[in-house]
Amino acid sequence: MSERSDGKLPPMEDVSALIDGELDESAVARACAQWRDDPSAREAWHTYQLIGDVLRSDDLASTASRDNAFLASLRERLAAEPVVLAPQPMIAPTEILAQPAVVNGDAGRRHWRTPMAMVAGFAVVATVLVVTRMHGANDAEGVLAARGDSAAAILVSSAGTPPSGVGNLQAVDRQGEPAMILDGNLVRDARLDEYLAAHKKFGGSSGPGAPSGFLRNAAATAGR
Amino acid sequence: MTAIGRGRISWFALFWIAALPVHVAHAQAALNSGDALVERRETKAWLSRIQEAASKRSYQGTVVVSSGSAVASSRITHHCEGRDQFERIDSLDGQARHVVRQNEKVHTVWPQRRVAMVERRDQLSSFPGLLQAGGDRVPDYYELHSAGQERVAGREANVLSLRPKDQHRYGYRLWVDKATGLLLRTEVLGERGGVLESAAFSDVAIGVRPSVDSLLQPIRKLDGFRVLQPVALATRLEKEGWSLSPKVPGFQEVSCVKRSADGPLRAQSPGGGPEPQMVQAVFSDGITYVTVFIEPYSAERHPRAMNTAIGATQTLMHRHADAWITLMGDVPAPTLRLFAEALERRQ
Repeated sequence: MSERSDGKLPPMEDVSALIDGELDESAVARACAQWRDDPSAREAWHTYQLIGDVLRSDDLASTASRDNAFLASLRERLAAEPVVLAPQPMIAPTEILAQPAVVNGDAGRRHWRTPMAMVAGFAVVATVLVVTRMHGANDAEGVLAARGDSAAAILVSSAGTPPSGVGNLQAVDRQGEPAMILDGNLVRDARLDEYLAAHKKFGGSSGPGAPSGFLRNAAATAGR
Repeated sequence: MTAIGRGRISWFALFWIAALPVHVAHAQAALNSGDALVERRETKAWLSRIQEAASKRSYQGTVVVSSGSAVASSRITHHCEGRDQFERIDSLDGQARHVVRQNEKVHTVWPQRRVAMVERRDQLSSFPGLLQAGGDRVPDYYELHSAGQERVAGREANVLSLRPKDQHRYGYRLWVDKATGLLLRTEVLGERGGVLESAAFSDVAIGVRPSVDSLLQPIRKLDGFRVLQPVALATRLEKEGWSLSPKVPGFQEVSCVKRSADGPLRAQSPGGGPEPQMVQAVFSDGITYVTVFIEPYSAERHPRAMNTAIGATQTLMHRHADAWITLMGDVPAPTLRLFAEALERRQ
């Protein structure tokens, strides 16, 4: 870097580095100034870009006149573009997005279309959630049952049973009797939660020195 | 030439060892030294350091506990002033609940239900004697190894691995704060090395001085609250007509109490005759523990034998003569079965 600032390297080195994105902030400013002041730097810039383009794709190898024509027409169109001078009133950003070209009565319709679309979106999400939930429950039940541990296995979902803070519980009934099932959810035994609370609260915490047994208990019965 | 080169490398290594902070080098070298006596002493030193930091430091942070598929977070503030300890835990998920502990006195407050429960910790168990009593035996049943260093909750931590020496217990991974010894993260590892349960600070400030007033704020105004004071009496299994000498090596009875079989939160009928009593005994190997609940059997209350797993906690429920036995423990299921087999009726 110090060599470069001494100007001992070929002058176009910085331009090349600029194209490759290898210059630091101050060097970028210097290279841009060079590009502005030195026609040969601009020429080098174009040549380097062209080399890069051709290396990437043959289609990009075109004559300079084509580029010039494109640039000229772009400038023309830009100049013809009307300049917006009237300041825009402050509106909520969503509304700006929702009605980019308000011209006539269409506006009224667009107004309610967005919320409706959102409602529809939520409905879809909700349905998908319900469907996946049910699927999840059924699948898991299938998997557990298929494991065939000595007895029937039932997946328990704690959803809808306020006193439980424990997520899923897998119950293996020893006598092979199906446990209480309601709508695919096994009714959580509130007593089990009591045992769990007593076990975790006053037994202390598993592992040494965890801040407190109460902490684990707090987690185990968060919903209570 | 080669001799000189080798000499240079060893001097270089020595330089680095000397440059490391003393305690890090100490921990790494001593724990993995291969000398049984040194490792034994170091294991105890580490555990007591962790234990002491948890009770004597002042800290504040958010702890996330995940057990099985459930995740819950709590805000914890611990403050130590001389001999007095204050602790407040607010559950951040589900219904609001505050646990406020002043030394042995524990308040649990459910502000929405306007219910408060007051308990004394020493009535129900000998904690913190629990771990102190078992601390000496820990090196007989677990091996502690240093497993490098990691960053947890924005702090540098030593990673320790606590491996069981037999099949009867789970392993643990511990992240211990380098500066203070506070446990920043723990994992309970199953038989195949999978994580059964984990608890970690997501953020923590150590050495803060919270005001005791704000700590005790949830229990200042309990007017209009239903205040429950469950009673538990210290007893012995033998006195209640039972005996249990654990077949699992390392486990000892650390507490045994007798209390009402109904949880204190259940509505109790005032004139409903004598309530069924429950005996609750806790066994520990110094790291983990098993709780045995014994209560009179009733067909209505105890519909069926059960065997469940929630996170790292196994549960075994079954009928034993005229009693209903519930075993819970953060141990593999076969260990609980050994406990169940060892339980005997004396009368």
